[in-house]
Amino acid sequence: MRSLKVNGVERQFAPDAMPGTLSALLDALGVGPTTVVAEVDGRIVRREEFDRTELQDGQKVELIKLMGGG
Amino acid sequence: MDKLTIAGRTFDSRLLIGTGKFSSPRVMAEALAASGSQIVTVALRRVDIDNPADDTLREIDRDRYLLLPNTSGARDADEAVRLARLARAATGIDWVKLEVTPDPYYLLPCPVETLKAAEILVKEGFVVLPYINADPILAKRLQDVGTATVMPLGSPIGSNQGLKTRVALEIIIEQSVVPVVVDAGLGLPSHVAEAMEIGADAVLVNTAIATANDPIGMASAFKLAVEAGRKAYEAGPRAPQHKAEASSPLTGFLRES
Repeated sequence: MRSLKVNGVERQFAPDAMPGTLSALLDALGVGPTTVVAEVDGRIVRREEFDRTELQDGQKVELIKLMGGG
Repeated sequence: MDKLTIAGRTFDSRLLIGTGKFSSPRVMAEALAASGSQIVTVALRRVDIDNPADDTLREIDRDRYLLLPNTSGARDADEAVRLARLARAATGIDWVKLEVTPDPYYLLPCPVETLKAAEILVKEGFVVLPYINADPILAKRLQDVGTATVMPLGSPIGSNQGLKTRVALEIIIEQSVVPVVVDAGLGLPSHVAEAMEIGADAVLVNTAIATANDPIGMASAFKLAVEAGRKAYEAGPRAPQHKAEASSPLTGFLRES
Protein backbone atom coordinates (compact mmCIF):
# COMPACT_ATOMS: atom_id res chain seq x y z
CA MET A 1 0.00 0.00 0.00
CA ARG A 2 0.95 3.63 -0.52
CA SER A 3 0.02 6.39 1.85
CA LEU A 4 -0.34 10.16 2.05
CA LYS A 5 -1.02 12.18 5.16
CA VAL A 6 -3.72 14.63 4.08
CA ASN A 7 -4.75 17.35 6.54
CA GLY A 8 -3.42 15.30 9.40
CA VAL A 9 -5.14 12.05 8.41
CA GLU A 10 -3.25 9.06 7.02
CA ARG A 11 -4.79 7.82 3.75
CA GLN A 12 -3.94 4.47 2.20
CA PHE A 13 -3.97 3.83 -1.54
CA ALA A 14 -3.43 0.69 -3.56
CA PRO A 15 -0.24 1.18 -5.63
CA ASP A 16 -2.19 1.64 -8.86
CA ALA A 17 -4.75 3.96 -7.22
CA MET A 18 -2.25 6.35 -5.63
CA PRO A 19 -2.93 9.89 -6.98
CA GLY A 20 0.05 10.83 -9.09
CA THR A 21 -0.33 14.59 -8.75
CA LEU A 22 -1.95 17.12 -6.45
CA SER A 23 -4.68 17.64 -9.06
CA ALA A 24 -5.46 13.93 -9.03
CA LEU A 25 -5.62 13.98 -5.22
CA LEU A 26 -8.08 16.91 -5.25
CA ASP A 27 -10.22 15.09 -7.80
CA ALA A 28 -10.15 11.90 -5.74
CA LEU A 29 -11.25 13.81 -2.64
CA GLY A 30 -13.80 15.99 -4.48
CA VAL A 31 -12.28 19.23 -3.22
CA GLY A 32 -14.24 22.11 -4.70
CA PRO A 33 -13.25 25.66 -3.74
CA THR A 34 -11.19 27.54 -6.27
CA THR A 35 -9.09 29.21 -3.60
CA VAL A 36 -7.41 26.04 -2.37
CA VAL A 37 -3.70 26.18 -1.80
CA ALA A 38 -1.50 23.28 -0.73
CA GLU A 39 1.58 22.53 1.26
CA VAL A 40 3.49 19.40 0.36
CA ASP A 41 6.00 18.52 3.05
CA GLY A 42 5.87 22.15 4.15
CA ARG A 43 6.45 23.61 0.67
CA ILE A 44 3.69 25.93 -0.60
CA VAL A 45 2.16 24.91 -3.93
CA ARG A 46 -0.14 27.27 -5.84
CA ARG A 47 -3.23 25.99 -7.58
CA GLU A 48 -1.68 26.59 -11.02
CA GLU A 49 1.08 24.15 -10.08
CA PHE A 50 -1.19 21.34 -8.87
CA ASP A 51 -1.16 19.57 -12.26
CA ARG A 52 2.58 19.25 -12.37
CA THR A 53 3.16 18.61 -8.68
CA GLU A 54 3.87 14.89 -8.35
CA LEU A 55 3.12 13.11 -5.12
CA GLN A 56 5.34 10.47 -3.54
CA ASP A 57 4.50 7.75 -1.05
CA GLY A 58 4.61 9.00 2.54
CA GLN A 59 4.31 12.73 1.81
CA LYS A 60 2.46 15.14 4.05
CA VAL A 61 -0.14 17.25 2.23
CA GLU A 62 -2.06 20.16 3.69
CA LEU A 63 -5.02 21.49 1.71
CA ILE A 64 -6.00 24.96 2.82
CA LYS A 65 -8.85 27.18 1.67
CA LEU A 66 -10.25 30.61 2.37
CA MET A 67 -13.27 30.80 4.58
CA GLY A 68 -15.27 33.39 6.44
CA GLY A 69 -13.37 35.20 9.17
CA GLY A 70 -12.78 38.57 10.78
CA MET B 1 -16.86 61.95 2.92
CA ASP B 2 -13.23 62.06 1.87
CA LYS B 3 -11.57 58.90 0.61
CA LEU B 4 -9.52 56.36 2.52
CA THR B 5 -6.07 55.54 1.18
CA ILE B 6 -4.14 52.49 2.34
CA ALA B 7 -0.80 51.62 0.75
CA GLY B 8 -1.56 53.84 -2.23
CA ARG B 9 -4.96 52.27 -2.89
CA THR B 10 -8.04 54.44 -2.52
CA PHE B 11 -11.42 53.41 -1.12
CA ASP B 12 -14.75 55.26 -0.90
CA SER B 13 -15.86 53.26 2.13
CA ARG B 14 -14.26 53.47 5.56
CA LEU B 15 -16.01 50.34 6.81
CA LEU B 16 -14.16 47.03 6.61
CA ILE B 17 -16.22 43.89 7.12
CA GLY B 18 -15.25 40.50 8.46
CA THR B 19 -16.90 37.52 6.77
CA GLY B 20 -17.11 35.14 9.75
CA LYS B 21 -20.25 33.88 11.51
CA PHE B 22 -22.80 34.70 8.76
CA SER B 23 -25.71 32.26 8.59
CA SER B 24 -25.29 31.71 4.84
CA PRO B 25 -23.18 32.90 1.89
CA ARG B 26 -26.27 34.66 0.51
CA VAL B 27 -26.92 36.66 3.69
CA MET B 28 -23.24 37.55 3.81
CA ALA B 29 -23.27 38.80 0.21
CA GLU B 30 -26.35 40.94 0.85
CA ALA B 31 -24.93 42.33 4.10
CA LEU B 32 -21.67 43.21 2.33
CA ALA B 33 -23.62 45.03 -0.36
CA ALA B 34 -25.67 46.93 2.26
CA SER B 35 -22.53 47.93 4.15
CA GLY B 36 -20.95 49.61 1.12
CA SER B 37 -17.65 48.06 2.21
CA GLN B 38 -14.83 47.55 -0.28
CA ILE B 39 -12.46 45.55 1.92
CA VAL B 40 -13.50 42.22 3.44
CA THR B 41 -11.43 40.00 5.66
CA VAL B 42 -11.22 36.24 5.21
CA ALA B 43 -9.52 33.45 7.13
CA LEU B 44 -7.53 30.40 6.07
CA ARG B 45 -8.42 26.95 7.28
CA ARG B 46 -7.88 23.33 6.34
CA VAL B 47 -10.24 21.98 3.70
CA ASP B 48 -12.82 19.79 5.44
CA ILE B 49 -12.22 16.47 3.71
CA ASP B 50 -15.66 15.24 4.83
CA ASN B 51 -17.28 18.25 3.17
CA PRO B 52 -14.77 19.01 0.44
CA ALA B 53 -16.98 21.07 -1.87
CA ASP B 54 -17.89 23.59 0.84
CA ASP B 55 -17.09 27.13 -0.25
CA THR B 56 -18.62 29.77 2.00
CA LEU B 57 -16.97 32.59 0.07
CA ARG B 58 -18.41 31.69 -3.32
CA GLU B 59 -20.79 34.68 -3.28
CA ILE B 60 -18.06 37.28 -2.81
CA ASP B 61 -17.51 39.33 -5.95
CA ARG B 62 -13.78 39.81 -6.08
CA ASP B 63 -14.04 42.65 -8.57
CA ARG B 64 -16.03 44.59 -6.01
CA TYR B 65 -14.25 43.71 -2.79
CA LEU B 66 -10.58 43.54 -1.92
CA LEU B 67 -10.06 40.31 -0.03
CA LEU B 68 -7.94 40.87 3.05
CA PRO B 69 -6.77 37.47 4.35
CA ASN B 70 -6.06 37.34 8.06
CA THR B 71 -3.67 35.19 10.05
CA SER B 72 -6.25 34.28 12.67
CA GLY B 73 -5.35 31.18 14.61
CA ALA B 74 -1.64 32.05 14.64
CA ARG B 75 -0.15 31.95 18.13
CA ASP B 76 3.34 33.15 17.24
CA ALA B 77 5.22 34.96 14.49
CA ASP B 78 6.24 31.78 12.65
CA GLU B 79 2.64 30.60 12.34
CA ALA B 80 1.48 34.04 11.23
CA VAL B 81 4.17 34.23 8.54
CA ARG B 82 3.24 30.75 7.32
CA LEU B 83 -0.43 31.71 7.09
CA ALA B 84 0.38 34.96 5.29
CA ARG B 85 2.45 33.12 2.69
CA LEU B 86 -0.33 30.57 2.18
CA ALA B 87 -2.87 33.36 1.85
CA ARG B 88 -0.77 35.06 -0.80
CA ALA B 89 -0.41 31.78 -2.68
CA ALA B 90 -4.17 31.16 -2.46
CA THR B 91 -5.33 34.60 -3.51
CA GLY B 92 -2.51 36.31 -5.34
CA ILE B 93 -3.06 39.18 -2.90
CA ASP B 94 -0.15 40.46 -0.86
CA TRP B 95 -2.30 42.31 1.68
CA VAL B 96 -2.58 40.64 5.05
CA LYS B 97 -4.33 41.41 8.30
CA LEU B 98 -1.71 40.25 10.77
CA GLU B 99 -3.19 38.70 13.90
CA VAL B 100 -1.21 36.82 16.51
CA THR B 101 -3.41 35.78 19.41
CA PRO B 102 -1.80 33.29 21.80
CA ASP B 103 -4.55 33.52 24.40
CA PRO B 104 -7.77 31.78 23.31
CA TYR B 105 -9.93 33.29 26.05
CA TYR B 106 -9.59 37.02 25.39
CA LEU B 107 -7.91 36.67 21.96
CA LEU B 108 -5.65 39.59 22.77
CA PRO B 109 -2.82 40.10 20.28
CA CYS B 110 0.78 39.45 21.31
CA PRO B 111 2.78 42.66 20.71
CA VAL B 112 6.19 40.94 20.58
CA GLU B 113 5.26 38.27 18.04
CA THR B 114 3.17 40.73 16.00
CA LEU B 115 6.09 43.12 15.64
CA LYS B 116 8.42 40.25 14.75
CA ALA B 117 6.04 38.89 12.10
CA ALA B 118 5.39 42.38 10.71
CA GLU B 119 9.10 42.95 10.13
CA ILE B 120 9.44 39.67 8.23
CA LEU B 121 6.30 40.19 6.15
CA VAL B 122 7.11 43.79 5.20
CA LYS B 123 10.53 42.59 3.98
CA GLU B 124 8.78 39.94 1.89
CA GLY B 125 6.70 42.61 0.18
CA PHE B 126 3.44 42.18 2.04
CA VAL B 127 1.10 45.08 2.75
CA VAL B 128 0.71 44.49 6.46
CA LEU B 129 -2.30 45.61 8.51
CA PRO B 130 -1.54 44.53 12.08
CA TYR B 131 -4.21 43.88 14.70
CA ILE B 132 -2.89 45.24 18.00
CA ASN B 133 -3.89 46.22 21.46
CA ALA B 134 -4.39 49.98 21.73
CA ASP B 135 -0.74 50.63 22.52
CA PRO B 136 0.63 53.88 21.07
CA ILE B 137 4.27 52.82 21.42
CA LEU B 138 3.66 49.54 19.62
CA ALA B 139 1.69 51.37 16.93
CA LYS B 140 4.70 53.62 16.37
CA ARG B 141 7.13 50.68 16.26
CA LEU B 142 4.95 48.91 13.69
CA GLN B 143 4.65 51.95 11.51
CA ASP B 144 8.45 52.36 11.73
CA VAL B 145 8.97 48.85 10.31
CA GLY B 146 6.64 49.72 7.43
CA THR B 147 3.14 48.47 8.17
CA ALA B 148 0.43 49.99 5.99
CA THR B 149 -1.94 50.69 8.88
CA VAL B 150 -2.34 49.94 12.53
CA MET B 151 -5.51 48.21 13.72
CA PRO B 152 -5.96 48.81 17.43
CA LEU B 153 -8.80 47.10 19.25
CA GLY B 154 -11.70 48.91 20.89
CA SER B 155 -12.32 45.93 23.20
CA PRO B 156 -11.84 42.15 22.91
CA ILE B 157 -12.87 40.53 19.60
CA GLY B 158 -16.57 39.78 19.35
CA SER B 159 -17.30 41.26 22.79
CA ASN B 160 -19.54 44.14 21.59
CA GLN B 161 -18.17 46.33 24.38
CA GLY B 162 -17.29 49.33 22.22
CA LEU B 163 -14.40 51.74 22.72
CA LYS B 164 -13.01 50.68 26.08
CA THR B 165 -9.56 51.78 24.94
CA ARG B 166 -10.59 55.28 23.90
CA VAL B 167 -7.85 57.21 25.71
CA ALA B 168 -5.11 55.13 24.08
CA LEU B 169 -6.87 55.21 20.71
CA GLU B 170 -6.87 59.00 20.80
CA ILE B 171 -3.11 59.00 21.35
CA ILE B 172 -2.57 56.52 18.50
CA ILE B 173 -4.73 58.62 16.18
CA GLU B 174 -2.88 61.78 17.17
CA GLN B 175 0.55 60.27 16.54
CA SER B 176 0.01 57.88 13.64
CA VAL B 177 1.19 58.68 10.13
CA VAL B 178 -0.46 55.53 8.72
CA PRO B 179 -4.24 54.99 8.71
CA VAL B 180 -5.71 53.86 12.02
CA VAL B 181 -8.37 51.18 11.59
CA VAL B 182 -10.22 50.51 14.83
CA ASP B 183 -10.91 46.80 14.94
CA ALA B 184 -12.66 44.47 17.34
CA GLY B 185 -15.32 44.89 19.98
CA LEU B 186 -17.42 47.38 18.02
CA GLY B 187 -20.90 46.16 18.83
CA LEU B 188 -23.15 49.03 17.82
CA PRO B 189 -23.31 51.73 15.18
CA SER B 190 -22.80 54.28 18.00
CA HIS B 191 -19.44 52.63 18.78
CA VAL B 192 -18.17 53.08 15.23
CA ALA B 193 -19.57 56.60 15.08
CA GLU B 194 -17.56 57.39 18.21
CA ALA B 195 -14.40 55.88 16.69
CA MET B 196 -14.84 57.94 13.52
CA GLU B 197 -15.66 61.12 15.48
CA ILE B 198 -12.33 60.93 17.34
CA GLY B 199 -10.51 60.63 14.02
CA ALA B 200 -10.11 56.94 13.24
CA ASP B 201 -9.53 56.49 9.51
CA ALA B 202 -11.69 53.37 9.30
CA VAL B 203 -13.27 50.62 11.36
CA LEU B 204 -13.62 46.87 11.00
CA VAL B 205 -16.82 45.12 12.05
CA ASN B 206 -17.81 41.47 11.87
CA THR B 207 -19.68 39.90 14.80
CA ALA B 208 -22.06 42.80 15.37
CA ILE B 209 -23.32 42.56 11.80
CA ALA B 210 -23.08 38.82 11.18
CA THR B 211 -24.89 37.82 14.37
CA ALA B 212 -27.62 40.49 14.38
CA ASN B 213 -31.20 39.32 13.87
CA ASP B 214 -31.12 41.14 10.57
CA PRO B 215 -27.52 41.29 9.34
CA ILE B 216 -28.47 43.26 6.23
CA GLY B 217 -30.30 45.94 8.21
CA MET B 218 -27.43 46.11 10.69
CA ALA B 219 -24.86 46.42 7.88
CA SER B 220 -26.78 49.39 6.58
CA ALA B 221 -26.93 50.94 10.07
CA PHE B 222 -23.14 50.58 10.44
CA LYS B 223 -22.61 52.19 7.03
CA LEU B 224 -24.62 55.24 8.09
CA ALA B 225 -22.81 55.44 11.44
CA VAL B 226 -19.38 55.38 9.80
CA GLU B 227 -20.43 58.14 7.42
CA ALA B 228 -22.01 60.20 10.21
CA GLY B 229 -18.96 59.85 12.43
CA ARG B 230 -16.54 60.72 9.65
CA LYS B 231 -18.55 63.74 8.54
CA ALA B 232 -18.68 64.96 12.15
CA TYR B 233 -14.92 64.58 12.41
CA GLU B 234 -14.38 66.47 9.17
CA ALA B 235 -16.75 69.19 10.37
CA GLY B 236 -14.59 69.80 13.45
CA PRO B 237 -16.44 68.92 16.67
CA ARG B 238 -15.99 71.16 19.74
CA ALA B 239 -14.45 69.75 22.90
CA PRO B 240 -16.63 69.05 25.94
CA GLN B 241 -16.47 71.60 28.74
CA HIS B 242 -17.62 71.64 32.35
CA LYS B 243 -19.76 74.81 32.32
CA ALA B 244 -22.91 75.52 30.39
CA GLU B 245 -22.74 77.92 27.47
CA ALA B 246 -26.06 79.39 26.34
CA SER B 247 -27.14 78.52 22.83
CA SER B 248 -29.71 81.32 22.76
CA PRO B 249 -28.46 84.92 22.89
CA LEU B 250 -28.79 86.46 26.37
CA THR B 251 -31.05 89.47 25.97
CA GLY B 252 -31.32 90.63 29.56
CA PHE B 253 -34.46 92.75 28.92
CA LEU B 254 -36.64 90.64 31.25
CA ARG B 255 -34.92 91.94 34.31
CA GLU B 256 -33.79 95.38 33.19
CA SER B 257 -35.49 98.40 34.69
